Amino acid sequence: MKAAELMNRYCDGDAQAFRELHMEVAPRLLAYLQAMARSRAVAEDVLQQTFLKVHKARGSYVRGADPVPWMYAIAHRTFLDEVRRRKRAAAPTDDGELPEVAAVITGENAVAAAERRVVDVELTKAALAALAELPEAQRQAVVLTKLDGKSVAEAAEIAGTTPGAMKVRAHRGYAALRRLLRRPA
Amino acid sequence: MSTPADPVLPPVEPGPIPPLPSGLEAELASLTPVAPRRPHRQLAAILAVSLAWSLALVGLLNVRRDLAELPRLWLVAYVVAWLLGFAVPAFLLVVPRRGEVMPRWVAAAAITGIASVGFIVAGLGLARSGPSSLHRGVSAWAGCLSSGLLAAVVPIALVALAIRGAVPTASRATAAALGACAGALGGFMLHLHCPIADGVHVGVIHGGVAVVAAGVAALTMPRWLAAA
Repeated sequence: MKAAELMNRYCDGDAQAFRELHMEVAPRLLAYLQAMARSRAVAEDVLQQTFLKVHKARGSYVRGADPVPWMYAIAHRTFLDEVRRRKRAAAPTDDGELPEVAAVITGENAVAAAERRVVDVELTKAALAALAELPEAQRQAVVLTKLDGKSVAEAAEIAGTTPGAMKVRAHRGYAALRRLLRRPA
Repeated sequence: MSTPADPVLPPVEPGPIPPLPSGLEAELASLTPVAPRRPHRQLAAILAVSLAWSLALVGLLNVRRDLAELPRLWLVAYVVAWLLGFAVPAFLLVVPRRGEVMPRWVAAAAITGIASVGFIVAGLGLARSGPSSLHRGVSAWAGCLSSGLLAAVVPIALVALAIRGAVPTASRATAAALGACAGALGGFMLHLHCPIADGVHVGVIHGGVAVVAAGVAALTMPRWLAAA
């Protein structure tokens, strides 16, 4: 388990291990935070705060354990705090930001992707817009289980809820997403 | 715009990763080793110190005067129940599953919830008394509640110190479980100290210590527990 080994070395004072851990985990956390916040700026800000908190809390790590779910949970908590602090829900941002997020989610420039007919940008935009309309708990459940590929148990641990509740949230969120996407534009 | 029959979300690929904050870079330049927590050692220390604290309180506040008159089996069964009500949730809160960092708050919360109700019901229905027991009902609630909560303070502080930073989410439920867990130790202390033998007193006041401690902890501790 690479992340656990890196975390062990980091706790032993190896700064390079922390950088490698950052390179390993930050992309996944950033993708999660972008899907939750729908704002690249907010996601980057929360990501940086998350790693600061991980650094401060490294003494509460248990040697040999997988630190990734714990880091996700810190990111989620930081995201919630940031949203509250900014007095705004993770609602749709202005339209100008949507193509950037869409491009990020497809992994390439949105226009280029459209030109290559690899990704239907309209579909991506619709999915993102629909995702943003979900209540926060359902959005988190859909992002963790459908986008991020976490198991229900892992997602529940990150969200601080029970697996049963997470399963219900994910099911309701996915059903709502489906309804929203069927709705006439 | 066409809408799909089934919203298959596209895989998330992040863009460029932002650099580490400058403050963190500075700390990494002079990084010193830290000792990761050792849950089993922490648990052993917490159990030992908490038990010593509660017994010291019993010594300070006096052992109940009817102790020798009570049915031995009932007395021991209650002691074991109170101690299990403290030790099992403490284990679940301090020692995570193998390979995990965060505490088993769901199991701890479930067990403390069941135990708290059980202590109240058992107190109401299974109270025993001896010739020198007192019968004051719930009128003497303040002294028992305050000394029970005093017994709970040390385990709450010790467990909170042990798991601080490991509870980024579900910190309120974790705090409530922690309060109830420590409240059980308060109940244990009262079981050896308080000579009031009415079922309503033992059930509502002694059993209620866990409930009150859970409520106080849930209101006051979540942010502190979650903080890094």
